[in-house]
Amino acid sequence: MKAQTTLGAAAVFLLAAAAYTSLFASPPDAFQGEYVRIMYAHVPNAWVAYLAFAITFVASVLYVWKRRPDYDHIAHSATELGVLFTGLALATGSIWGRPVWGTWWTWDARLVTTAMLFLIYSGALLVRGLSDDPQRGARLAAVIGVIGFLDVPVIHYSVVWFRTLHQPASIAPGSLKIAPPMLLALMLSLLAFTVLFAYLLRLRARLAWLEAGGEP
Amino acid sequence: MNGFLRAAAVARKDLLMEWRGRQTITATGMVALLMILLLGFVLGSEPGRAAAVLWVALGFAAIVGIPRITQSEVEQQALETLLLYPGSREHLYWGKGAALLLMLSALLVALLLLLGVLFSVDVWTHGGALLGVGMLGIVGLSAIGTLLAALVLHVRGRELLMPLLLLPLALPVVLGCVRLTEAILAGTTSAPWLLVLVVFDLVYLLVCPILFEVVMDEA
Repeated sequence: MKAQTTLGAAAVFLLAAAAYTSLFASPPDAFQGEYVRIMYAHVPNAWVAYLAFAITFVASVLYVWKRRPDYDHIAHSATELGVLFTGLALATGSIWGRPVWGTWWTWDARLVTTAMLFLIYSGALLVRGLSDDPQRGARLAAVIGVIGFLDVPVIHYSVVWFRTLHQPASIAPGSLKIAPPMLLALMLSLLAFTVLFAYLLRLRARLAWLEAGGEP
Repeated sequence: MNGFLRAAAVARKDLLMEWRGRQTITATGMVALLMILLLGFVLGSEPGRAAAVLWVALGFAAIVGIPRITQSEVEQQALETLLLYPGSREHLYWGKGAALLLMLSALLVALLLLLGVLFSVDVWTHGGALLGVGMLGIVGLSAIGTLLAALVLHVRGRELLMPLLLLPLALPVVLGCVRLTEAILAGTTSAPWLLVLVVFDLVYLLVCPILFEVVMDEA
């Protein structure tokens, strides 16, 4: 429990530092002005969502293979958090898109596929909830966790092939298209959200474990 | 009895039952026909719309048809018997998948002919290419559909879950087939989308049989 409290404190501290850096200490963008600050919330949300689904994938594969309940608790928790952060990423993206692109929503491949991931993993949660016994529910959700994640590469390549409104990724290997103070703010936000996610994941997995009876 | 014969026996049983009742093909055919008529009427039947209308109709028909391939086993309580037969459960997947593939292919041929009449597109000159691309899409739909049909068996509200799971997961198939069908009708082709379809088919043909055994595991 002590490690959990420390993790929580670290998340609060990092979120405060990230909020200060991204709201006050970083400059406005040359083209987007103050709106660029939405990026410091949007990009970490999307990153955490993908991280959560990657964890769901690994935990699902391990659960299908080893059938140990801990893996299922992790997969279940990561799916729930992934759906939450995907929803937040879609919402913040929409809020950012309105002033910068002039539209709440565009039929860009990455937007559509992120929305599809939101639906697939909501489906996984529904299958688990509506299943006639919890063990079967865990197994079926793990199957969806595996096949759902295989859709992620399609997202990545569809951006390259579609070439629509969505700006190319700001941090690509070999070429940096972002000013150092902004990069600092973005990196700090990414770190803060990742620590927050780790805290929430541990908390939720422990809850799942207690719900299952709490056997070691 | 080797795996191929086992799969063929399952496919033969499913197709024979379908031939005697003709319920699935009637239901899917009616849904597809309704979608085409409705979309054609609402959107207008310019040839440019044909590809999108075809694959939306096929997608909705698949949602109705796919749960039915495991429905009969549940209704007759024959699933346990089927699972008790010796040998790998992967063969059940291949048998059921093959039966689904044949039914959806028949539907595809019928819908292409209908499209030629209703949307005045030239399906005859590009017939081979249209069928080839269509089959790539239907292989993908069947691969993932057979797994999902088994997955929703023991879940309440499976009519609700099938569209929620199938449409997002099979979105690359629908998008790819729409773009490729458009390209063929315009007399060109689109290599990236062909690659999307082939990769999708290969990945899911590789992964779904393994996961099918996990789903069918009677724990």
